[in-house]
Amino acid sequence: MENLFDKWKIKIPKYSEVHKELFESLSQKFGAEGEKKINLGKHFSTNYELYIYAFFLGIYNNEFAPIPSGEKKTDFSHHIQHWGSKSRLDRKDFTSLQENIFIALVAKTDIDILALEKGDIEEDEVVKQLIHTMESYTNGGLILIKEKFDENRNYFLQPTSFLDMILDCKIE
Amino acid sequence: MIIKKISIENYLCYCGIKEFELSNGLNIILGENGEGKTKFFEAVDWLFNGNNNNLTSLVSAKTLNESEVGEDFRVRVAITVEQYDEKKIISKSFTVKKIADNECSTANYMLEGIEENKLGERNQVDGQRLLDNVFPFQIRKYSMFKGESELNIFESEDALTNLINLFSDAKHYDKYSEKGAFLREKAEKAVEDSTKSDKKNEALYKSLESEIFRLQQEQNKYQVHLNSTEEEISKIETNLHEAEKFVDNAVALETINKRVKNIEDEIALANRRIDENYTTSLFDEKWIAVNFEPIHKEFAEKVKQLSIDRRKLQSEFDKEQGIKEGERKAKAELLNNAVPLPDNIPSKAVMEEMLHDEICKVCNREALKGSEAYNFMFNRLQTYLQSQSKQEEVINDGPLFKKDYTNRLMNLSVSHEDNLKNLREIRTTIKDLFEFNAKWKKEIDLLKEKLEQEISEREKMLGNSSLAEERLNNVQKNYSSWQRDLKIKNKEQVDYEVKLKDIEGKLKSKKAEKDRIDLNSASKFLIKTREILRDIETIFKETKEKKFDAFIEKLEKKSNKIFKQINIDAFTGTIVFEKRNKTNKAIVKIELQEEGRTFYNPNQSLITSMHISILFAISELASEIQSENFPMIFDAPTSSFGENKTEQFLNLIFENGNQKVLLIKDFLYTDKNTKLLSIKDEFKKVKRNKAFWVKLERPFDPNNLITINTQVITL
Repeated sequence: MENLFDKWKIKIPKYSEVHKELFESLSQKFGAEGEKKINLGKHFSTNYELYIYAFFLGIYNNEFAPIPSGEKKTDFSHHIQHWGSKSRLDRKDFTSLQENIFIALVAKTDIDILALEKGDIEEDEVVKQLIHTMESYTNGGLILIKEKFDENRNYFLQPTSFLDMILDCKIE
Repeated sequence: MIIKKISIENYLCYCGIKEFELSNGLNIILGENGEGKTKFFEAVDWLFNGNNNNLTSLVSAKTLNESEVGEDFRVRVAITVEQYDEKKIISKSFTVKKIADNECSTANYMLEGIEENKLGERNQVDGQRLLDNVFPFQIRKYSMFKGESELNIFESEDALTNLINLFSDAKHYDKYSEKGAFLREKAEKAVEDSTKSDKKNEALYKSLESEIFRLQQEQNKYQVHLNSTEEEISKIETNLHEAEKFVDNAVALETINKRVKNIEDEIALANRRIDENYTTSLFDEKWIAVNFEPIHKEFAEKVKQLSIDRRKLQSEFDKEQGIKEGERKAKAELLNNAVPLPDNIPSKAVMEEMLHDEICKVCNREALKGSEAYNFMFNRLQTYLQSQSKQEEVINDGPLFKKDYTNRLMNLSVSHEDNLKNLREIRTTIKDLFEFNAKWKKEIDLLKEKLEQEISEREKMLGNSSLAEERLNNVQKNYSSWQRDLKIKNKEQVDYEVKLKDIEGKLKSKKAEKDRIDLNSASKFLIKTREILRDIETIFKETKEKKFDAFIEKLEKKSNKIFKQINIDAFTGTIVFEKRNKTNKAIVKIELQEEGRTFYNPNQSLITSMHISILFAISELASEIQSENFPMIFDAPTSSFGENKTEQFLNLIFENGNQKVLLIKDFLYTDKNTKLLSIKDEFKKVKRNKAFWVKLERPFDPNNLITINTQVITL
């Protein structure tokens, strides 16, 4: 049976290089280990955690912000399907989160499944649209984080900072 | 080697030539303070280690005063020693010329050596070389001690280690273990080169090599950290015990310290209970999906609509295709012209079952054979069966939908439907966790308050101590911070140990991996050679270590024996030699212990006797090993002993046999009326081989150096 999810998850979404600094200062990938993580404001263990976070934040706030064509795109060479793979014993599997993201993308993207089923458009075209949505909401989320960051650099030193931003989203 | 004679000429208070004919065994030189004991010691020290700096300060004021202007005289210290039945004389001297009253010049500074063979023939030799031959520098260093404080040469961590290296057999293995390491390295290199010529593993091998190098550096780094942390811990512990010594109520202090520790443990436990990894829980506990329900609903609606649209299109398509006219009508007859269900719902099996049972199990009503309901079901089944067989006819136009993505999307929607319930509970879960954490934080605040109370009580207690105010302030200020530092350092120590163990494990596995590649790539002969050389190096190293350890063990045993003898019938504790491996070398520390615990408050006499015991033990061991004895000279080593203990101590040394020269001020007595100085009767009981009394010629003016002349009286 045809499965869009399987086609989507082998992709690597991108983000704008404008936000590279955010990844460097918020994710553990760049230095800091163990307890020091939070002390330095590094909440995220990996780049993709920040990416997922930004996506949800963007979508909950309805911040659809496609990366402007003038901005250079970059990625962290990690296929979606490997996000949250069980490489660390103390962490849990992310498959259901991957599905959530996919569900959200299908919900929010104007894709013509029937045309796809009829063979009028290519599968790649649809997946491309989904990734575009993903990048746009993530970009929106990253902009929100950056605004907070610029407003008060110490905000993210609190352990609840990122949780609060998610809980505070009012969604109907 | 034994010193037969020491001769001192015009050296400070020794005016004219003064000679000490020493005996092998115990030589005691008695003298009141300021009457020439220390000058005797310094004169010998000058001979052994002195130089020609400031020579005029060594000249006897009395001799100078009694000389005519323009007259010369000599300042000289000489020892006559006997070694292997040969006599040797070593002397250091210079000449003094009086140029005016209280003014002189010096010249002809020299260190002379004379060797006299068994026939009595004398030879002039280089003085320094002769001195180093008869009394090697390293041994000299541990043979002369001035005062109690200098006995403590072992506080420097290298001193004892050097000494042990000097006397234990271990040093003989140094050259072998060096050679062993050299050969092993060569063999390793040969194997590596041989492996590298095999291009197959080149990249992997190289990365292993650099990884091993990196790990080794890391290992060194952490070893250094660990060493310094251990040193700091012992320093802090000493500080704490030093401080505690002055506290009046030591038991109460210990109780408070225990309570403080308990509270600190409780705080640590409470802290562990608090889970503040909120950001991680966003992912691991899927909290991030907390607002997802509306989005899911949007998706579910969309997919449902998609499914409807799809069927609608299919149905229209079917109509257009003109398949099964009758059934189209039936479908059109559906209430409100609604979109019909797909043909395959319910499935063929279910339809057949319902027809057989004459019940519509969808609406749970009877559908007896011949009834409208029965016929409806029957026709529907026929439609389905025909749609299956008609497939071929349609194939010409091709199906409307070539692919089916909708189905999977439907499945995804349904499978996540169940999960919505969990999403609704996330906010409650988070709230509960916040409450839980808040409860423990409150608990921690209470504990911290309690802790502060205990600490301030402890400070009060420290305040009621017998220390001088300035030091007291220092102790008060530092005590708590020392406690805190100790805790931090202890944790660091554990961390470093864990880290080191981890690195060791990694290194071992990397090396094993490298060896495995060697095994496949390098020549068998080279590998065998390497294995043998590795073993040889290990044997040398271990033997050296064993010899070293054996020496320490012997030294410890001997030291304790002497220690117990000096302190007969008194509490002593045990001298413990602790060997620690540092990055490149082993170091040895000594410690006084009491039932396995560090004994922090020994009195000076106990410390002194510990140091003397170790020195004597070393001297005994040295004579066992080198089959040669060396003299030891102590200036006032026992000032904290008291006469009784001194007597015991001297008798013990007498038994010990080796040549020793002891300068002490005990056993002298000044008559209150006559002011006459005399030797007490108790001294008769002191076993000795020879005794002298150094005493200033009476009368003298303590403020006028020209009246000072020490006489040497052989007792």
